Amino acid sequence: MRLLLTVGFLSGLSGMSAEAAPPPPTPRPSVAAPTPAGAGPVYLVGGELHLGDGTIIKDSVIAMDRGVFTVVGGPEARTRLPAGATLIDARTRMITPGLFAADTQLGLVEIDLEASTRDDGKATEHPIRAAHDAASGLNAASSLIPVQAVEGITSAAVAPTGGLVSGQVAIIDLVHDDHRGLVAKPRVATAAHYGQTHAGSRAATLALLREVLADARSFPARRAAFERAQSRPLSAHPLDLEALQPILRGQAVLTLHADRASDILAALDLAAEFKLRLAIVGGAEAWKVADELARAEVPVIVQPTQNLPGSFDSMGARLDNAALLHRAGVPVVLAILGGVHNLRNLTQEAGIAVANGLPWEAALTAVTLGPARAYGVERTHGSIAVGKVANLVVWSDDPFELSSAAMQVYVRGALVPQVTRQTLLRDRYRDLQQFTHKRN
Amino acid sequence: MTAAGKTYARADLLVEGSKIAAVGVDLPVPAGATVIDLGGKTLTPGIIDTHSHIGVYAAPGLVGHSDGNEATMPNTAGVRAGDAYFPQDPQIDRARAGGVTTMQILPGSANLFGGRSVTVRLLPGARSVSDARFPGAPEGLKMACGENPKRTYGSKSGPSTRMGNVAGYRDAFQRASEYRRSWTKYQKDLSEWTAKKNAPKPDPPPPTKAKSGGDRSDEPDKLEEPTPPARDFALETLVGVLRGEILVHNHCYRADEMSLMLELAATYDFKIRSFHHATEAYKIADRLAAADTAASVWADWWGFKAEALDGIRENAALLTQAGARAIIHSDSAHGIQRLNQEAAKAMFAGRRAGLTVTDDQALRWITANPAWALGVADQTGTLEPGKLADLVVWSGDPFSVYSVAEQVFIAGELVYARGKLEPRTDFELGYLPDDLGAAQGPK
Repeated sequence: MRLLLTVGFLSGLSGMSAEAAPPPPTPRPSVAAPTPAGAGPVYLVGGELHLGDGTIIKDSVIAMDRGVFTVVGGPEARTRLPAGATLIDARTRMITPGLFAADTQLGLVEIDLEASTRDDGKATEHPIRAAHDAASGLNAASSLIPVQAVEGITSAAVAPTGGLVSGQVAIIDLVHDDHRGLVAKPRVATAAHYGQTHAGSRAATLALLREVLADARSFPARRAAFERAQSRPLSAHPLDLEALQPILRGQAVLTLHADRASDILAALDLAAEFKLRLAIVGGAEAWKVADELARAEVPVIVQPTQNLPGSFDSMGARLDNAALLHRAGVPVVLAILGGVHNLRNLTQEAGIAVANGLPWEAALTAVTLGPARAYGVERTHGSIAVGKVANLVVWSDDPFELSSAAMQVYVRGALVPQVTRQTLLRDRYRDLQQFTHKRN
Repeated sequence: MTAAGKTYARADLLVEGSKIAAVGVDLPVPAGATVIDLGGKTLTPGIIDTHSHIGVYAAPGLVGHSDGNEATMPNTAGVRAGDAYFPQDPQIDRARAGGVTTMQILPGSANLFGGRSVTVRLLPGARSVSDARFPGAPEGLKMACGENPKRTYGSKSGPSTRMGNVAGYRDAFQRASEYRRSWTKYQKDLSEWTAKKNAPKPDPPPPTKAKSGGDRSDEPDKLEEPTPPARDFALETLVGVLRGEILVHNHCYRADEMSLMLELAATYDFKIRSFHHATEAYKIADRLAAADTAASVWADWWGFKAEALDGIRENAALLTQAGARAIIHSDSAHGIQRLNQEAAKAMFAGRRAGLTVTDDQALRWITANPAWALGVADQTGTLEPGKLADLVVWSGDPFSVYSVAEQVFIAGELVYARGKLEPRTDFELGYLPDDLGAAQGPK
């Protein structure tokens, strides 16, 4: 075989092109050219708009500009759009707020079993890691971010893992590769794990948690004494005690993982004792103590499909947990617990919750405004309202239905390109003949 | 929806005994037949999962329940999942409520050769695996590629690399070939010996001078009975594979590794019935089709380890497009409860990417194709006369997130009816307040 390599002459290549492998199929074109975050205005008209708080507006009008909603209303709001503006026709489509993934390690974990790609847990024997801050370890270039974003996830709570007090939770908007911009709000919550987490005993776990909170409460007044080494030993490092101040002042939330009904009650007592804003994560048996949770107005973040007695802490796990909690008046949040790769299945989880008794609009709130409220970021996130961050999805149909697709996803007012590492792989291998051509 | 190419908008299905007797429109009602009106519902074959560890990793996940991986040496081809299957695992009930009628219980993937699988039916009231075993189903052999054996044995006896993995398979199949040869030789020797022993004796030769008092061992035609080779149950499993009697189920993610395994199988002249997980199967869909090897895949799992990084949602659809046999499996006591939804996700992802996947094809991913992979396609997997009446009645379209299994039949027997007949294994009795009459929590 002879092969002539010609550089710089197109004619030298033209003879080969007829037999060369066909070019890989081009990816499905995105619905419109991507707009950089915070850039020019976008106008969506005609869609059935579900605000996220239970309100529905038919034939809606939405304007987004510089990353926030500037107009939200019914057909009458058309008069507030500038003359000659290019309108995106969303008739026959359903529009919802971008979905909010309420318990993730997105941006902290690329491959679960590869420790070198993980920054979610601080490797230390000490169970108190309150100062371990998710926001400072995030990777906006993670391939996982677009995979979730193209299917409608626009915000996520990113929580550290491990230990008794794992660290500080950050809220992110899913803007891929924007390292400066990824974090919407750092340190909105302190994540902790109750149950048999410390010293092989619930009593020991609770005792340490109370001791740490008590030390944290008295620490600001004793800091000077501590610096002069005139303090008794503290139960945690001063930086960890500092990091707990926002939850003691009610400025941030304590997210406590607990499944067993008795653990949830212990968490409620702890929150009352220290006047904490609490959210329960997991809550497999929360339905058993729904009335107490409702009275305390404590949100519960559950995964609807978790119906197995995977341990003796979740013997009461059931598919209608979310429905029972909602009926009792508990602010329920739906989530893929501790997920990273398939947060996109949040829509399926919501659909399953609906199939098991949760009203549809309540399920939508539970994946949008509900998580925003649970983390105290509802002023900026979770629903479609003037002034809020313009995170929004235009769906082909009912967003929870498996046949439905996110047609357009906007994060901070910018359209997300419908391209991910996965669509690139798919298109590369769509036609296998190109790999066998002239070989074999 | 028959999963046999035909979907009826309205149809009747006649069950006689354990089997489907007829399928069609406006079938005559035989005298004495019970008529169940399923107006507005959807009927499909029972769902079949090629990959489950229910019963060998029973819930709750207690130390005492961990029976899925005999992770003591890389080749445990001689162990059998059926010997560890716990029929009181509450996960069985949840799977049945999801429309699953048959599942293959596999040993885990810690070992190069994990052991033999067992295919079971999700019949309530099984007191041992024998009550659950699918009659006539062949056994499978669980093999594992890639990271898991490396991780399990890397700091022990090895293998610690993919090189070591493949050397382990090669070594085992070489020994199995030799083991088979030694048995073949023994059987040949035995039949020759038997023939000689039974052959009519010629007249005894005239007496000669006895050397030591007429000892009979001096008879010149006396042949010693051949001794059988020592029996080795691990090698026996592999010989079963070489003979095509035991079906190979190979946990393998990457396209390059699956290709190597197909080459190894060709070298030793056996078939790999199905790759499992196969997140990169779409990269070699043509090779899988040519080898007639199925791929049991997830709808969308990916990224949890390096070898799973390239998983995509269109995997099953691309396999189907290439003419390969795609299967949606669970490997999860959660996923097994909604394989219909997992198939739906894979189907709609394929359609959104412009691939053609019919409802019937997607249904075959969780019925007819797994039936083939388990070697029971002649008995179940489609709604056709002569097949077992393994049936699911869905509240609506089985590919809708809102649909649930309302009734499940196994071999003609109603084994689940939502809200009415929800069998529970022994394990859960007494743990829920309702059982003990306490009015705790909302009903």
